[in-house]
Amino acid sequence: MNPFIKIITQPDNIAIVIMIFMVSFFMVWAFQQALRNDKLRLTGYAVEGELDNDVDTYKPLVRIEMIISLVVMVGLTIWSVWVDAPLEEIANPTITPNPAKAPWYFLGLQELLVYFDPWLAGVVLPTLIIVGLLAIPYIDINPKGNGYYTFSERKYAILTFSFGFFILWLLLIVIGVFFRGPGWLWYWPWQEWDTQRVVFEPTRDLSSMIGIDSRSWGGFIVGMVVVCGYFVAGMVAPYKYFKKKCPEFLEQLGMTRYLITAFLFVTMMSIPIKMVLRLVFLVKYIWIIWFVPGGLNF
Amino acid sequence: MENENNKKASLRGYIFAILSVVLLGLSAWVIWDDEFGLRPWKNYQQEYKSLKRDKLEKEYQQALIDFKTSGDAKKLADLEQQLKQAQDNFKKKEVHERYLQVTARLNDLKRKVDENQKAMQMVRGQYLEVEYYFTKGQKPADKVRMDALQKQIDSIDKASKAFQAQLAPLQQEQLTLMGDIPAIEAQIEALKKPLAEKKERIANNESAPIEIRQRMINDANKADRCESCHAGIEDTRQVTTKHPYSKHPLSFVYLGNHDPSKFGCTFCHRGQGRATTTIEKAHGNVHYWEEPLLKGGMTQTSCLNCHGDIKNLRGAEHINQSTELIRKYGCYSCHKIPGYEGMGDVGPELTRVGTKVNYSWAVNWLKDPKKYSSTARMPKFFFTQEQAESVADYLFSMSGTTRHDVDYMSETPDEKLVEQGKVLWSQARCNLCHVTSGRGGNHVKMYAPELSKVGGKVNKTWLFNWIKNPNEYYPGTRMPQFTFTDQEIKGLVEYMVSEFTDDEAEMNYTTPQPINAASIKKGKDIIQQYGCYGCHKIEGMEMVQVAPSLKAQGVTFLKNDEMREKIGTELTSIGSKPVEMLDFGKMKKNITNDRMSYLKQKLRDPRSFRLGLRMPNFRLSEKEVNELAGVLYGFTDANVPTRFLVPSKAEIDKMANVAPYQFTGDFAKVVKTVKCTNCHSIKGIGADYAPDLTFAGSKLQESWMRGFLANPDVIRPLLQQMPNLGLKSASVKTKITMPRFNLNKQIVQDTNKSDVDVVVNYFQQELLSPDIPKTIPVVSDIGMEQQLAAGKQLYEQKGCIVCHQIGADGGAIGPNLSNVGNRLNPGFIFVHLENPRKFKPDIVEPRYGFTERERILLTNYLMTLKLTNSDANKK
Amino acid sequence: MNELFDKVKKNLIWKSVFRRDYRNTVRDRALAIFGNVFLHLHPVKVRESAVKLRYTWGMGGITFFAFIILTITGIVLMFYYHPTVNLAYEDMKDLEFQVPYGVISRNLHRWAAHFMVIVVMIHMFRVFMTGSYKAPRQFNWGIGVILLVLTFLLSFTGYLLPWDQLGFWAITVGTNMGAATPLLGYQGPFSEYLHITPYNDVRFALLGGATVAGNALLRSYIWHCIAIPVIALILMVVHFWRVRKDGGISRPQSN
Repeated sequence: MNPFIKIITQPDNIAIVIMIFMVSFFMVWAFQQALRNDKLRLTGYAVEGELDNDVDTYKPLVRIEMIISLVVMVGLTIWSVWVDAPLEEIANPTITPNPAKAPWYFLGLQELLVYFDPWLAGVVLPTLIIVGLLAIPYIDINPKGNGYYTFSERKYAILTFSFGFFILWLLLIVIGVFFRGPGWLWYWPWQEWDTQRVVFEPTRDLSSMIGIDSRSWGGFIVGMVVVCGYFVAGMVAPYKYFKKKCPEFLEQLGMTRYLITAFLFVTMMSIPIKMVLRLVFLVKYIWIIWFVPGGLNF
Repeated sequence: MENENNKKASLRGYIFAILSVVLLGLSAWVIWDDEFGLRPWKNYQQEYKSLKRDKLEKEYQQALIDFKTSGDAKKLADLEQQLKQAQDNFKKKEVHERYLQVTARLNDLKRKVDENQKAMQMVRGQYLEVEYYFTKGQKPADKVRMDALQKQIDSIDKASKAFQAQLAPLQQEQLTLMGDIPAIEAQIEALKKPLAEKKERIANNESAPIEIRQRMINDANKADRCESCHAGIEDTRQVTTKHPYSKHPLSFVYLGNHDPSKFGCTFCHRGQGRATTTIEKAHGNVHYWEEPLLKGGMTQTSCLNCHGDIKNLRGAEHINQSTELIRKYGCYSCHKIPGYEGMGDVGPELTRVGTKVNYSWAVNWLKDPKKYSSTARMPKFFFTQEQAESVADYLFSMSGTTRHDVDYMSETPDEKLVEQGKVLWSQARCNLCHVTSGRGGNHVKMYAPELSKVGGKVNKTWLFNWIKNPNEYYPGTRMPQFTFTDQEIKGLVEYMVSEFTDDEAEMNYTTPQPINAASIKKGKDIIQQYGCYGCHKIEGMEMVQVAPSLKAQGVTFLKNDEMREKIGTELTSIGSKPVEMLDFGKMKKNITNDRMSYLKQKLRDPRSFRLGLRMPNFRLSEKEVNELAGVLYGFTDANVPTRFLVPSKAEIDKMANVAPYQFTGDFAKVVKTVKCTNCHSIKGIGADYAPDLTFAGSKLQESWMRGFLANPDVIRPLLQQMPNLGLKSASVKTKITMPRFNLNKQIVQDTNKSDVDVVVNYFQQELLSPDIPKTIPVVSDIGMEQQLAAGKQLYEQKGCIVCHQIGADGGAIGPNLSNVGNRLNPGFIFVHLENPRKFKPDIVEPRYGFTERERILLTNYLMTLKLTNSDANKK
Repeated sequence: MNELFDKVKKNLIWKSVFRRDYRNTVRDRALAIFGNVFLHLHPVKVRESAVKLRYTWGMGGITFFAFIILTITGIVLMFYYHPTVNLAYEDMKDLEFQVPYGVISRNLHRWAAHFMVIVVMIHMFRVFMTGSYKAPRQFNWGIGVILLVLTFLLSFTGYLLPWDQLGFWAITVGTNMGAATPLLGYQGPFSEYLHITPYNDVRFALLGGATVAGNALLRSYIWHCIAIPVIALILMVVHFWRVRKDGGISRPQSN
């Protein structure tokens, strides 16, 4: 069978295919409505829902709820009759399947393991994701766009969130499911997965690119300069920019809020930067704090 | 006002309705699917039921016809007539009235007995209550009550006994009054019983429920639902041969010894016992199920899971035959295989090989052994000319010789010596083990080297010394020491060298050439890389054979086999090795990716998977590949409950700290030189080629033993290994007998006995069975003459003649009985006739179920069958 | 026919259940909502935009509905399941081959679980896109984020229960991350200072052992079937309550 068909028809992967379709559909729908509302606003009309009246809950809402329940029930039943839940061999601690994959919704994090050490990819970053999500209502002080789809009124918020949600979360999941095979090597959909495949890909650390041993004090300093420099620059530069362009916004935001926002944003952006460094320049670590037991490497 | 657009509302109503109907339909589908779609075994059981019904009906109809035609029907009519008469008698007034009276009194008595019993229960209950309080409180008042109650119990008991005593005569009278009625009724019942039983079977079949039938093995977490479809597998009578309803083949062996309720199905057959939905799933031929179903002879591979010893195991013939291949090719030399530890070297010792063979021969042999002899067991290592020369150089240098060949082709042999040797060659029956020009080699499990071209291989000096005393050159050899004189041996050597010449032999080194040191070094490396020392003892290879772990402990020399570092992969659990762990390499696309295909490919062409593999090619036939793969498939780490395990005798002895049996005294020396156990099995030691001698002392007569040992003759006319006995008339002529070892000529050192004396003594002292009596019971009511006549009659009646020969008459399957009276002890014949399989479980002879008297008569008759000297001479 | 209807409707039992006739008046429509324990989660009247599928996509409701399906099928499955190493896998096989409606129950449970994870993520996307986390709904967004995490954890803990290679290694890979926790995981940075070993680190606490084995299975089972559902249910109650108290489904503030 064609390897592509084989992989997308695996029982568990059908859910991912369904997810891709559902997410794309709702993404388009959301932005369509946002753009229409923006157009309405621009031409001075009220946005959708602004002039609505109250209606009785019984029966309009109840009826819709019932219909949706039925649709979901019918859909799930057909899915369940059509596809059987997978059950592999009995658990055997001595045989590690290749590839050994986490549940699909964590494959984005597993993909990050290529670029970061486990303590970052598996612990610190997920924690920051949750913290970041929780912080959103408190750092987004833009009062506009509450209760309707809009894009022009909250460009920065929507672009940042979409980047995180679609690219860093969902796209990495899709890559983890469909493009990562044995040895967590990259496989195109038309390639057959091969457990024997060997890929020789030497990686290096950033400081060794300029001839300094990354596990020396010199390498440590180079790494520290780059990493700290990135964070400082990433947080200071926008500050200067806003101070010049719209100081009242900065005032409204306040220093604490600015620092949190900037830190979260810079951290998020560090992920694609590290991915590019790793994939294009074969850089494994930027900063190795080699004297910490257990290894604290960035 | 309901502020919802009416049109929209009604549309939504319709959608709701339609969706409800769809969900209802889906639910119906789910129910149907669960009831029928996922339960295909229901259909199988229905069909089996109807097939069984047809068969039972047919049997019933047949029985009815038989009933009518056999006269049973008439008997029944007669009996019914009698019954009617008896009943008429019973209905006569005075009898009937008396009967009613007796019945009334009986009922009265029975009622009284019942009442007594009830009263007894009441009093007993009270007694127990009071006893409880007394035990607890120790109040004297309770004790008084207890005694009173005990008195009551006694009196009730007494009354009961009195009633019981009255019952018996009344019941007797009742029976007398009924006359013949009960007896006749019982006869009618008995007559109708077979028919009734058949009818009951039909009814049972009808009322059998359609349900999942499973065998639960709780301690192994198994639930084998195979019988849900294979509904007739446990039947003792075949209902139909139609698949999957037939009964288990050889079920009296397999199911008889392995009660399905204790063993289930999948311990032997593998497959997915719990699965019921499709054939593929149930048989385990699906992804994510590693153990597909084993069918037919392949199933015997599972015997290895539990049985420590499958030799002589009924039903394991196929796998037993296959395991012989492991011994034949010595797989255990390079791979660790449980049960094959300490087996000894499969190949000859090579420490002095340079003094034995020609250098050119050795090089060619190393390159391709099968080119020299088609029966060669040594595999092909794909050596280049240079590599083969290096190996030979190493071996020859270790023997202290140079590159040299001896060519006898140009010499003219001494005709007289050759003639003597030729006679000796056939007298000593060398061809029994050795093949020459396609002849001989009957003893297939001996793997003696082919000698067709031996003249181009070895030198005369070596051959002379070898025949004189094989143990001297190679202590582990199976070659027996024949007691030939030097002159005889000379003739034999001359005959062999001149007769079995090798026309194609290369002789490049008739003038010896020195060996260069670099080549020796290279040869040593090759020998180490390919592990030649696994099969051969090689000088200078002792160090590499020590396992690294032992080396670390300071052990630097080889003590025994167990210290060896096996060069190949361990095979202990190859049969359950996960497919993912098998390296298919470049064969991945060419063969199916399952364990069996891997094993077969590995055996067929070991180095086909990738570069750098070391396993040589044994060039097995496809049959051997299948058999060997079948055996390997059975080497599993299957989790078998200990209650299933049947350890071999050796294992039991080891557990019980019993030392394995060892031959003692002079007999041990005889065995060591003559190698009796090459063919005979004695107390579990040795091969199964010739008769088991464990009880020879009880079985054989002394005079016959002496005669036979000194001058062996044919007893058994057939190759035992031939399975389709008697089908090929040509092979019937093949004679098997013992080689002439020229025993009796030599005096065993220290004692003043000949070796025949030693053997006979040992047999009579050690090889005895307590089950074989020295004498047999006597029949005294008729005279000896009549007994012999009766015995002869029995011999003819029972068809013994079909298999056994007396004189020139009779079949050739069993041993010839012409001289049995001289050969066997009567006690043995007597016991043997009772159960031929007692001493030899795989014997062909059936169990006839002779009575003791018949056995005495037959034994007496057989003991008269004796050949006199004149008869023997005539022959 | 109508007579029969009347008779049924005047019956004491009918009356005790439904209390009164429904006459499609404003009062009756309102009563239908707050007279019913399930429906009275809703206000009697809602904004028209809240009814529009286009706006809410019904994702929150679908998530809750999936949770209900999972609860029901989950209870069915619990009847046939032993959380022990010896029996778990065999019970799965029995569900497939022998238990009545075992196949459909397990399939529904598995696919509804995947579906719930997908839907809950889309729900978060919708709430973000309509800015519904903004005042006064900041707290409810936080509850939602925690519910999202709980949904992942529910699915994750359920993954191990069949005790097959897929679940076993998914959990092994997943919990190995715990071993890398700074300070508290034996492979994480700084843990040496706290004398952390494989036998006292975070992963050990998660699995009840140094490897995925019987204890991990039991822990998964209890988290999956009792602990997390209960926590999630409590948070859901808060979540729904706050939706109403914070002014119902978000909508544009009228200028």
